[in-house]
Amino acid sequence: MFDFFRLCGLVPVEIRRGVWQVRADDALMKELDGWRAQGRLLQFTFEEDLAAAYGADLISPGSYRLNSILQLIRRQGVLSHAHIPHHFFHEPSIRRRILTSFEPGERAYVLTSSYLFGQYLQLELAAAAKGLQKKETLHSVVVNLSSGEVLKFPFPTHLLQGGGVESNLITRRKCSLKAAYLNAAAHISQAFAQQEQSWAEQALEKIAQEETKLQSFFQGKPSAQEFEAKRQELHRRLKPVLSISALRGALLYVPLFRYRLVVVGAQGRERTKTLSYDPIANLSELN
Amino acid sequence: MLPFFAHTSGPWSRKDGSAILREFPCERFHVEVLADGYRHIIAELRASRFDTWDWYQLARRADELAAVQNQASGLIALENLRERWSQVGVVPYEHQIRTAERVIHEMHGQAILADEVGLGKTIEAGLILKEYMLRGLAKKVLILTPANLVWQWYQELYEKFGIAAGIQRTQWDWNFADVLIASIDTAKREPHSSIVTSIVYDLLIVDEAHKLKNSSTASYRLVNAIQKKYCLMLTATPVQNDLKELYNLIGLIKPGQLGSYQSFKSRFMADKRTPKNPSELKTLLKEVMIRNRREEGQVRFTERIVHPIIVTLGPKEQEIYDRVTEFIKAQGRRSGLSNMLPLITLQREVCSSFLAVALTLEKMMAGLPRPDLERAATLLKDLAKVKQNSKCDALERLVSQFQDKAIIFTEYRASQEYIRYRLEKAGYRTLAFDGSLSRGKKQWVRHLFQQDAQFLVSTESGGEGLNFQFCNQVVNFDLPWNPMRLEQRIGRVHRLGQTRDVHIYNLITKGTVEEHIMYLLHQKINMFESIIGELDAILLHLNLGKSFESEIMKIFLAHEETEKIQKDLDELAQKILQGREELRASSWEGLL
Repeated sequence: MFDFFRLCGLVPVEIRRGVWQVRADDALMKELDGWRAQGRLLQFTFEEDLAAAYGADLISPGSYRLNSILQLIRRQGVLSHAHIPHHFFHEPSIRRRILTSFEPGERAYVLTSSYLFGQYLQLELAAAAKGLQKKETLHSVVVNLSSGEVLKFPFPTHLLQGGGVESNLITRRKCSLKAAYLNAAAHISQAFAQQEQSWAEQALEKIAQEETKLQSFFQGKPSAQEFEAKRQELHRRLKPVLSISALRGALLYVPLFRYRLVVVGAQGRERTKTLSYDPIANLSELN
Repeated sequence: MLPFFAHTSGPWSRKDGSAILREFPCERFHVEVLADGYRHIIAELRASRFDTWDWYQLARRADELAAVQNQASGLIALENLRERWSQVGVVPYEHQIRTAERVIHEMHGQAILADEVGLGKTIEAGLILKEYMLRGLAKKVLILTPANLVWQWYQELYEKFGIAAGIQRTQWDWNFADVLIASIDTAKREPHSSIVTSIVYDLLIVDEAHKLKNSSTASYRLVNAIQKKYCLMLTATPVQNDLKELYNLIGLIKPGQLGSYQSFKSRFMADKRTPKNPSELKTLLKEVMIRNRREEGQVRFTERIVHPIIVTLGPKEQEIYDRVTEFIKAQGRRSGLSNMLPLITLQREVCSSFLAVALTLEKMMAGLPRPDLERAATLLKDLAKVKQNSKCDALERLVSQFQDKAIIFTEYRASQEYIRYRLEKAGYRTLAFDGSLSRGKKQWVRHLFQQDAQFLVSTESGGEGLNFQFCNQVVNFDLPWNPMRLEQRIGRVHRLGQTRDVHIYNLITKGTVEEHIMYLLHQKINMFESIIGELDAILLHLNLGKSFESEIMKIFLAHEETEKIQKDLDELAQKILQGREELRASSWEGLL
């Protein structure tokens, strides 16, 4: 709550124990309460008795004010970006690791070194398993936009700093955002498929039961079209569906260390190569 | 506008996940990858609108919190509505919450809400609707009601649930409003019915669903053809005369629940009114129907306290009354019972005010033959000479004792004007309320009455769903002959949400037909203290709904002597009481 007001540039003041007050302007109140609302001193509390005693807005699970603020927050941050500064990585260590990674007998020398930023897409997805009931879970999936692969390990978000990087330092995406989204969705559905599926089984059982009843209802009636319509209605209501939607996304820029190398083979033959190293995926690519 | 809200008010909605980007089967379920959220992200990217990382992180935390809330068992709408309800004075009853939970968690959104009248079916339906909306399971919602309840639904949903529904007025509205309230009579007509049946609704609510009991009607066919995921039907009388009505209703909600009609007939119907295998049938009905009863003790209505105020007419008034009554009887004997309506009106008006009589008499004169015309003209002249109005004097004396607001009901506009004139002259602030006011004006008058005026003088007993629970005094300046209208009057103030006992003051002119009406309604059938809504069902059961006034008039025309009139009224009362017993004991009541 306080973070929200801080990000709105407002500072709540505790006017009495447990009751805070903040001056919300017209724009904020309209966003919270609809177009008719006007700016006012917004008082809020987390305690029910204080809300009743002082007429302050109650912030508690399910309360109107909490919900209106949650809805407003959830409308923000649809797209953001962040990066990991290149100096967060100890370049000499990377260089050492690269130079020692060649085949026995091979040697390499660094001619030049530079860095670019590779792109990752972090997607916040909601997966709603709809059977007899609806169960919604949230998933954060990071897709490497160079390879289109979903990261199998947690992305080190603690290293991220808000904001983008210079555009001339960003590598081109090899995977479209749509493909990345579909890959992320496929990744989640696979995860669901590996879990127990009683929610889907119960729904399928219920459909079978209801279909039997439906058949008995239409027994002897020639209305095949109506039967089909009712059957579809039944499936619309009970069919087990995993519904995946994107809530928000962020482009994450990760430094890619690029080295121009001279590789000396076992026979003493020299070749010039370019090596890119992604410290997040711990992958190197030699061209 | 704060910079971070600059692009928040687009048409995009997170719950609006209807467009599917890709779908595919996966093990035992089906996967839908929704497009809308993704498209919004892409749109932001194309416009290079990046929010700060702090907002992004906060929004993620908000998503998590919202997801936790949405997974809560029970009803999340209760928490969401708590503050609103405390502001508008709604106290949800235990049975309403239990009903909403059952419908959502056990019945999967398909139910007949068949609570007895007055237990708040609309609240239950609103709660279910709100819950589905909050959980993101219902977006496109259609509410079909009789035309006179459309506005009431709109108001209830807005005030009590914060749902801004649309009211259907044109054929374009069907597609545009997410939550739409429409008259079922409009919806069943072309071109509307074709449009309605082409839309897939998440939730369909049908109020007064007993009107769908006949499967050959256009209303039934419409509701049957509407594509819907969840469906709620609201009725206090799921069966009236025939068990087939029940079968038809359930067929709309869950076809097959009771098998084919042939099997239902052989398994569950001894005859059209008597069920067979009641316990088995009851079990099946319980899966689709919820009926809460008043006697189950969940709802406590406040008391109705009746105060008869006997008014004695002055000699001149009595003389005019007798002459008007004699005129009516003579007319009645001459024209027979076929054209009774003007006579009923005149007989009722004469107990209200002579002004009202004069207006009706003047209108009647156009169609009268010569001798009657002369008699009526003399009567009209003499009516104009009467300056006294004992009933209004009594009213003035009565209201002078009131400490609080009161609604004064009369049947006639002329009386309404006269009452207002007298009360205003006596220094009271009054407001007029009648059927000619538009919906908006009715709302406004209600607001003014709540805020300022002392007395509301109303000719509108049914109203457009306007409730006046903030007032607990009702004055019946004249008595309607139809007890249903009387019940509607009292029902404006005596309903769920009324926290105080309701005082009903009946002004009865001594030695007039009103005395007999009072005798019938109060002494014989205990109308004023009867259970809310019960009378509706009884009169419907006895087929007396519209002809009740004629029945009374027949008795008055047939006899001169008070004893004989009372004897016939006793018989009528007995019929009603018997109807009540029959209804209470009807074999299907035990089923529901």
